[in-house]
Amino acid sequence: MATHIIGLFHGPDSALAAAGKLRGAGLPTPELQSPVPIEGVEEVLGVKKAVIKRFTFFGGLIGAASGFLLAAGTAVLWAHPTGGRPIITIPPFLIITYELTILFGILATVLGFLISARLPAIRERIYVPEAAVDKFAVIVACDDDEHRGRAEAILREAGAEEVRASMEQS
Amino acid sequence: MDKLQYADVNRDVVRSLVETGPRYYAALFIAIGVTLACFFFPWFYQLYYGIGAAGMNHPAVWGTYLASFIFWIGLSHSGTLLSCVLHLTNSEWRKAMYRSAEAMTLFSLMVAATMVLVHVGRPWFVHWTMPYPNQMELWPNFRSPLLFDVMAVATYLTGSSIFIYMGAIPDFAAVRDRTSGWRRHMYVLLSLGWRGTDKQWHRLGWAYTFLAVLIIPLAVSVHSIVSWDFAMSIVPALHQTIFAPYFVVGAIYSGTAGIVTVMFVLRKYMNFEQYITRVHFDNLGKLMLVLSLIWTYINILEVFTGWYSGTSTELEAMKYKMFGYYAPLYWEMILFCAVAPLLLISKRFRTSFVPMLILSVAVNIGMYTERFLIVTTSLSRQYLPDAWGLYVPSLVEVSILIGSLALFTTLFLIFVKIFPSVSIYEVKETMATPKRRPSEEGVPQWQPTS
Repeated sequence: MATHIIGLFHGPDSALAAAGKLRGAGLPTPELQSPVPIEGVEEVLGVKKAVIKRFTFFGGLIGAASGFLLAAGTAVLWAHPTGGRPIITIPPFLIITYELTILFGILATVLGFLISARLPAIRERIYVPEAAVDKFAVIVACDDDEHRGRAEAILREAGAEEVRASMEQS
Repeated sequence: MDKLQYADVNRDVVRSLVETGPRYYAALFIAIGVTLACFFFPWFYQLYYGIGAAGMNHPAVWGTYLASFIFWIGLSHSGTLLSCVLHLTNSEWRKAMYRSAEAMTLFSLMVAATMVLVHVGRPWFVHWTMPYPNQMELWPNFRSPLLFDVMAVATYLTGSSIFIYMGAIPDFAAVRDRTSGWRRHMYVLLSLGWRGTDKQWHRLGWAYTFLAVLIIPLAVSVHSIVSWDFAMSIVPALHQTIFAPYFVVGAIYSGTAGIVTVMFVLRKYMNFEQYITRVHFDNLGKLMLVLSLIWTYINILEVFTGWYSGTSTELEAMKYKMFGYYAPLYWEMILFCAVAPLLLISKRFRTSFVPMLILSVAVNIGMYTERFLIVTTSLSRQYLPDAWGLYVPSLVEVSILIGSLALFTTLFLIFVKIFPSVSIYEVKETMATPKRRPSEEGVPQWQPTS
């Protein structure tokens, strides 16, 4: 069972510096919890891949196809000729296509967000309630006492207001 | 806002959710009462005795219900649209007010959808507009602007609900930690187990931006499509190419005025004085001024196009609108929406709360009149003089109009007790990062009063 060492910081800069040091010291990549999004996390903890854009793109694509198919397909199956005009009329069907592109794009974005942010959370994970108010928490998983000691020392040195340990809940 | 600390934001917002005074209950009670008496009762009456209870008749077969529909859709336009635009342009002043503006979008869309149900004679067949396989082999006509409307409004409602919810997930988490009882259970579910990790913030940022990018063109399309309901007909004064931009500008205009009204109420009665400040009123005032000028320009253009066409029907429609039976309403609209907003040139006016409230209400009265005129003046004067006829709303229609306002108010009053009406994390972003506290007693815990 891994122990998590949690360091609480009052500002995003010191928390980021601590996270960078932890990572540099060969400990597992720490996790940050904060009340606001922190600027510059990627420079310290590495660039994150945004898979959401693929969801949005393909969602939109599927939406466009289904929108056009819905309008054109039903027009062909239940033909309703009016004044010799074409059955598949492009301008109005493009509007249906456009609306469904956006609808599917939005729904796919939400799906992508939920999947990539691992929400809704089924399993309990380490949570620092103070990080929802005004603290910036740096959390690092440590396997043994040696790691734990090093992590604690680094966090304290970086100016943590409080360092505590938490057992991982399963 | 410099004096505020991070913890104060949590405290103030949680307080606005859990601390409920008698004034709130009184307001809610009245709103629900008026909704029942002025909205649902007349609607029931109309369903029971038939659509003849409304004043709509040949040739004016569209009346205040549709005017209300356009009005509410229009009011919905500023919330999410403005919020998205300001999000993409990184405007700091958006952060304290966008949540309630988006809520306005959501609820006015709901009321707008209800107005359509009221307008159609047999609302229990409304599912026929939905494209789904059925044994009657009945399919909606996808060439009709009315069906574009169904698709656009449904998409906009879905998009706005998702947008407001996604932006509120971190706030639900923050509120979850500080409430107890049934509220806590509700927020546990609503926050989806949000922890605020770097990864989650990163994902939220991307998803939120993508949604904003998707919703902006959507919002523009929604009101363009609503305008085509009218412009695609060959009725004089409706069959105009300017209608789509005219409706979109009008929508954003009345929506911005609506935001000013809502901000005033929130600031005054929910104690958000420190969050919703003169800066917001100043900026919203500038926006309203610009929109009123564009709106005025399009109105002049509409008259000009009608005159320049030289068509007798267009000229008649124009003359009727400006000097006919409904002329007082036309000039009232010009006064409220084109002349009065010129006061916004003065900064002193923009930063005074009560004058801004009065102006915003006046603008929305003017904008309602605009929609009423669009629907009625054109239909009561079509091509053949022997088919001319007046439309005057019946008591049922007037009552339902008042009731729709109460319905909106009821929904909004329920909203402010469930959603943090000021975004906690985005307001924090505009503040200086917290100082080290002298003592380490932990955060002052908010104790719910109940």
